[in-house]
Formats: sequence, C-alpha cells, structure tokens
Amino acid sequence: MRRLPLLATAIISLGMTACKADSPGKLETRTMTFAKHTVFIRNKSQANPLPSNATTWADGKEAFSHYCVACHGLDGQNTGVPFADHISPPIPLLTSKDVQGYSDGQLKWILDNGISPSGMPGSKGTLSDDELWSIIVYLRHLPPAGSQGTPEMYNP
Amino acid sequence: MKTRVIRRGMLVAIMVAGIFPGCAPKAQSSPRRIEVTARRFEFAPAEITLKKGQPVVLELKSTDAAHGLRFRELNVNVKVGAGGTTEVQFTPDKTGDFIGHCSVFCGSGHGTMALTLHVVD
Repeated sequence: MRRLPLLATAIISLGMTACKADSPGKLETRTMTFAKHTVFIRNKSQANPLPSNATTWADGKEAFSHYCVACHGLDGQNTGVPFADHISPPIPLLTSKDVQGYSDGQLKWILDNGISPSGMPGSKGTLSDDELWSIIVYLRHLPPAGSQGTPEMYNP
Repeated sequence: MKTRVIRRGMLVAIMVAGIFPGCAPKAQSSPRRIEVTARRFEFAPAEITLKKGQPVVLELKSTDAAHGLRFRELNVNVKVGAGGTTEVQFTPDKTGDFIGHCSVFCGSGHGTMALTLHVVD
C-alpha cells in the first residue's frame, strides 16, 4: 500500500519528462498556418477604408511606434527586441510570407483580437480603428530591416 | 447740369446695387467658439453639432496628459500638451457625422477616446 504513492510519483515524473516541447515539425507548422489563414482568423473580405498613400503610411508608422514596437521593433522585423528569439513561438517577421499572406481584413482582425496562444495581444480600445487601419498600410510597406534602429526603450 | 449728372449717377448706383445685392459688403460673422476638455479617456462634450460653412474655433484643453484631436475627413488635427490649452479654427465644408480620435497616444484606453461632430445644413 505504501508503494502506491511512490509508483504514482514515478509514473507522473516519467510522463512529464516525455512532455518536453520540441519545435513544431514542417507538417505541424503547415497545418497550423493553413488553419489560421482559412479558419481561425476571420474578416477576410473587409477592405482597408484608408487610402494607401504617404500620409497614411506615416500615420501607421507613428501608431506602430507607440504600441507594437515593444515586440516587433520599429521596422516590424524585430530589430533590437532582446527577447524576440527567446520566446515560443518566436515573434514572426512581419515581412514574412505567413503574415503578408493575410488579407487587410484579417490583419485588422488580428490587431483587434490578437492571437491568444501566440502571445499577440488584441489592441481594440488601446488604438483607434483609424490608427489600426493605418498600421496595416505601414505593414504592407515596411522599411528595410535594421533601417529604423533599436526602439528607444531598449537603448541603454 | 452738375446736379443732373449726380442724380443720374446715384440712380445707376441704386439700380446696380438692386441687381447685384450679393456684392454689397457684409459684416464677417465671428467664428463659433467651443471648449472641449480632453482627459484619459474621453472628450467632453463627446458630441457637437455644427453648421456646414460656419467657421468654428475648437478650444482643446487637457486636464491630465498630452492629447490630440483629429478629424481625418475634415483635415483637422490639433495636439495639446499635458495640462495645456490650444485651439484650431476650421470651417466644415460637408455634412455628415465625423468621428474624431485622440491623435496622441495617451494610454490603454486611447483608442476609445472619440468625439463626434454632426455637421448639418
């Protein structure tokens, strides 16, 4: 009878050891990417009501610099973000095919609601609709990686 | 002779003024002044009704942090420092409802800070 807790502890410990998380494989990644693009991230058909011009781009860049910059860097490519590669899942490059493959409406949905398991928070209420749409114009025309320097908050 | 010429001249002037009444000089109407208070995370008042074509001065007063007020469609953008006051003059040239947002990031509820302008004929 005394051996039962000991045995249970041994089994749980063995089970936890087996639960070590590895990076997702190619099939897993492709499945999740497909699911996100076609099922989980909604609002595919909504168009950006703002014109894609220099003024809107500058507005988007400014709004991006207030809130998104902490995780994505000023260039949307994680420049100067000290933890970008140390969290799981890693913070994606916003120039990546995965991100750019979303429609404007889907990007707005992500900005509004976030993608909860990934750590991406929703911004509804924190930024106005106008600012969020302008950020999408900025995302479509991101500056070259490293060209904007390190966010001020990470400068020593 | 001289008197006749003057009388005719006055008659012509009166007729011209009658034909083109819009050309007579008018007193310029002074713009309507409206005070708007900005604080985290609201504008007071939150709704204002204006007349199309009537000049208006919005006096923006902050009671805490730096704020802004932007109406993209009306091409109006004004910013005010923490605890400061500033003003912007404009004339709405179209009717409709226009939602202005705070244009200076002021915290977690910044995105909800809005003021609606109803512009009517």
